[in-house]
Amino acid sequence: MKSNFNCDDIRELMPELAAGSGDPASEVKGSEIKGSEIKDSRIKAHLQSCATCSAELESFRRTLALLDEWKAPEPSPYFDVRMQAKLREEIAATKRPAGWLHWLRKPVFAVSLTVAVVAGVTLVETGHAPLSGPVAVEPGTAVGDLQALDKNHDLYSDFDVLDDLQVQSNVVANP
Amino acid sequence: MAMDRGLLAVSSASLAAEGGNSSSVLTDADIMLRVKAGDESAFSYLVQKYRRAMVHFMYRMAHSPAVAEDLAQEVFLRVYRSRENYEPTAKFTTWLYRIATNLAVNHIRDTRHERQGNMASLDEPDPETGRSLDVADVKPTTEEVIIQRERLAAIRGKVESLPERQKLAVLMHKYQQMDYKQIAEVLKLSESATKSLLFRAYESLREQLKEFV
Ligand SMILES: [Zn+2]
Repeated sequence: MKSNFNCDDIRELMPELAAGSGDPASEVKGSEIKGSEIKDSRIKAHLQSCATCSAELESFRRTLALLDEWKAPEPSPYFDVRMQAKLREEIAATKRPAGWLHWLRKPVFAVSLTVAVVAGVTLVETGHAPLSGPVAVEPGTAVGDLQALDKNHDLYSDFDVLDDLQVQSNVVANP
Repeated sequence: MAMDRGLLAVSSASLAAEGGNSSSVLTDADIMLRVKAGDESAFSYLVQKYRRAMVHFMYRMAHSPAVAEDLAQEVFLRVYRSRENYEPTAKFTTWLYRIATNLAVNHIRDTRHERQGNMASLDEPDPETGRSLDVADVKPTTEEVIIQRERLAAIRGKVESLPERQKLAVLMHKYQQMDYKQIAEVLKLSESATKSLLFRAYESLREQLKEFV
């Protein structure tokens, strides 16, 4: 650190000196404002002996004071109510069933859902009570056999998918 | 105002209860970690603590009280949304101002077209409250009002037209009382780069606002 300050040393410190943040020469520390008094004796000495710098500092001070005239409004009385409403909305959006539907967009989950549906349909159709199922084809007929083959093929290939899913299940967050 | 009283009361009570005598040393980062752990009242506490600063900052970026409130609320929603990823590596306020800065800069870029048409009406009364928020209510004469409006329009216009980073630095330094170190962290600059950024900003404001001082 030089023992004496010249004009260039002081120039960049002007905003801090004008803002009154204490002792800028010894690094800016914390947010502590020590008042407008300039503590560093080297800066003080230079300002006292240099009309250019002291005039410039005064000009910075006036500019900063002018900037003070620009006031900002306080938060409105509705701020908290609106904030609260937005937060509730945010929380609801992450909890409501729509959150589930959004899982459908994830391909892996959509596939596993398809598997579940296919498996369910298969169980109903191979069960003893065909009830009012839309496909009431007699087993043993050519059409019925072909359909059963199709289903079995689907079923077995779906099991492969299920294996894949199990491997991935750590990756996919459980909904 | 449930946030004001109910939640906040719960918040300070539980913060005090758990912290005991050392509750006064709980940092914002500690409180944010509670938000992360699911404590909603801790979130309310942070909203109460920083809503004024956020509204002020956003107002000087967006020039509209209504937009400023919306943007400030969006900042807090983003804080809430990213609570699970929060790591107290930086000061909470640094993180908060980074979110605010990104949001404000994007807002300004998105609305640049509208704003250019509106520059002349910067100092018009706020449509929501029907009065200009910047003019003091001391029954000044018409001439004084006109002069004051001119000064304000000049201040806003000159700050507005600073290069983006200079403007952000001035708003944080002059109006948010942040020190160089903090501003440097928010803007991801070195302290010395911040120092010269602020010098250049104030130097051009000084030059351009000469006639008003
Ligand atoms: Zn000098």
